[in-house]
Amino acid sequence: MLKRDQQLVLPTQARAPGFRVELRGTTFRLVASGAWTVAEAADLDKALERLRVPIPPTSDFTGEMDISGIAEIDTAGAWLLQRTARAWQRGGLRTRYAGATESFRILIEEVHRRGQAERPEIDKPAPLEQLVDNTTKGLTSIWQDAVGLTAFLGEVTSGFLRLFRQPWRFRTTSFFHHLDHAGLRALPIIALICFLIGAVVMQQGVVQLRPFGAEPFAVNMVAILALREVGVLLTAIMVAGRSGSAFTAEIGSMKMREEIDAMRTLGIDPMDTLVLPRVLALVVALPLLTFLGDIAALAGGGVMAYAVLGLDSSTYIDKLHEAVDFQHFMAGMIKAPFAAIIIGLVGCLEGLRVEGSAESLGSHVTAAVVKAIFLVIILDAVFAMFLSRIGV
Amino acid sequence: MIVEDGREVVIRVRELAKSFGSHQIWDGLSLDVYRGEILAIVGGSGQGKSVLMRVITGLVAPDKGVVALFGQDAKTLTPQARLDIERRWGILFQDGALFSSLTVLQNIQVPMREHLDLPQSMMDNLAFLKLTMVGLPPNAAHKFPSELSGGMRKRAGLARALALDPEIVFLDEPTAGLDPIGATDFDHLIRKLQQTLGLTVYMVTHDLDTIFTVCDRVAVLADKKIVRTGSPAELQSQPNHPWIKNYFCGERARAASPTEQRRLIANDA
Repeated sequence: MLKRDQQLVLPTQARAPGFRVELRGTTFRLVASGAWTVAEAADLDKALERLRVPIPPTSDFTGEMDISGIAEIDTAGAWLLQRTARAWQRGGLRTRYAGATESFRILIEEVHRRGQAERPEIDKPAPLEQLVDNTTKGLTSIWQDAVGLTAFLGEVTSGFLRLFRQPWRFRTTSFFHHLDHAGLRALPIIALICFLIGAVVMQQGVVQLRPFGAEPFAVNMVAILALREVGVLLTAIMVAGRSGSAFTAEIGSMKMREEIDAMRTLGIDPMDTLVLPRVLALVVALPLLTFLGDIAALAGGGVMAYAVLGLDSSTYIDKLHEAVDFQHFMAGMIKAPFAAIIIGLVGCLEGLRVEGSAESLGSHVTAAVVKAIFLVIILDAVFAMFLSRIGV
Repeated sequence: MIVEDGREVVIRVRELAKSFGSHQIWDGLSLDVYRGEILAIVGGSGQGKSVLMRVITGLVAPDKGVVALFGQDAKTLTPQARLDIERRWGILFQDGALFSSLTVLQNIQVPMREHLDLPQSMMDNLAFLKLTMVGLPPNAAHKFPSELSGGMRKRAGLARALALDPEIVFLDEPTAGLDPIGATDFDHLIRKLQQTLGLTVYMVTHDLDTIFTVCDRVAVLADKKIVRTGSPAELQSQPNHPWIKNYFCGERARAASPTEQRRLIANDA
């Protein structure tokens, strides 16, 4: 902000910005006063918008911006003056400034010069065109995702197989670190959630089956549901939310800070150091977590069975033995390593796709969780069809 | 308002102390910034140059000492008074610190949106004006920060710092990471904007070329305080301190200094 005098504090009445237009001889004058600063710009803008451009009766009429009354000015004020002066020029008045100090003149000249720059237009496509465009983009991105994920699966598999020939490439520390983070530390929350869901399913089952006098069969329902579906699905969804997103965020922020490029130039393969330990740790951790999730869900069901049906623990366990066998347990368990591969692959792949900005990191973390959960559920459905076909 | 030697002191720092853990970075640091000057803060790494800027702007609290902003004690400000003061300065962070989800033009408009109630068309025009004033090409307006080069991000950051026509701009290493041509252009830009907009410039810098071409005064941070202030030429001719001597009379300084260059040219002739 530029001040006219070396006067440091302005009296209040000198601050109030304003202007008037007068005709003196053959000169239309805009007499401005007060503080023409950005804080006052909104009011000045409105008042100047209402101002009509004077129409010169003959061509020897001129315009003048008398700014000798202006005490303070900044770019916003200068821009408003510039806009008015320019409108007057276009209306056929040759317009000049009067009463500018040296510093005001520099600013006003600068604003006049910069004000001439052409502004780029943003072209907005037609709504229909945009719709078609978005749809094509969406469809191609699904296709590209499928291709990308398959290619990545191939890369990870070949990286894994290479470990048998060159076992020293395996990063043991990293593997155990991720086993701890994705496995051990996820245990309490997964056990708690499975326990609660087991209890809820048991309670609902009893309520629904009671009119038929079949409430003891709620135990069968809970047992089969827990072992075949709930245990593995809930665990996989929790792990996708907990660890899949963490993988994307960790790898993504390393990508943002060019750490991954640095690794490559140092001859370190990110596949060995970042991807394989994570995916393998998840492949080990998820079945173990699923096993504990199954037990927690059955325990939850047992507690609820005691509460609503009065079954004691030994009866409950006997009934479980009648209801399920090893096949049911394996039908759930077999899905766990596959779900782990999906979550690990999606998490790592999305991390590697992160680009420079924080926004990109955020959107890839979201994408990783959504895609992982979606694919885990698809996997579950495929397994359900397959297992029922082979009669398990 | 504090006036000293007929000049207004816009920022006064007195007896500042700060330590991080057991490491004390300042003990009794004092500094004045006068209206209308371009002040450079220099010092070895780890002396807390950037931290001092953060203390003045209120991002970091000092352990002891007084910071007076435009004559008001920063500690006793009400939130509203603090907001009013924040409107009177702009800060350029080292890499621009542009918001990555907004375009350059939207970034420049952020302070206007937060502090003022201006019509959109006027904000567009003013933001565009600032954009061209810092020397960005018009087509940068609708780009996102990730699409800009380092030098352009700095310029865009400067445009955002200037959005409200502040009285003071803080520049953190404005020429770091720029090539010599870009850095020279940026030096000239700072000088030109300072004259056009009547700014007070507070900059943290290492760049001797910047110091010799644009700075009116240099404050040297060493031994946990400001050991000396003075014009670049003064500090070079009478260093009086080992660090200043190393800095202003070292090999690089001789190459950057205008007096030294004149001497070399005279020798050649």
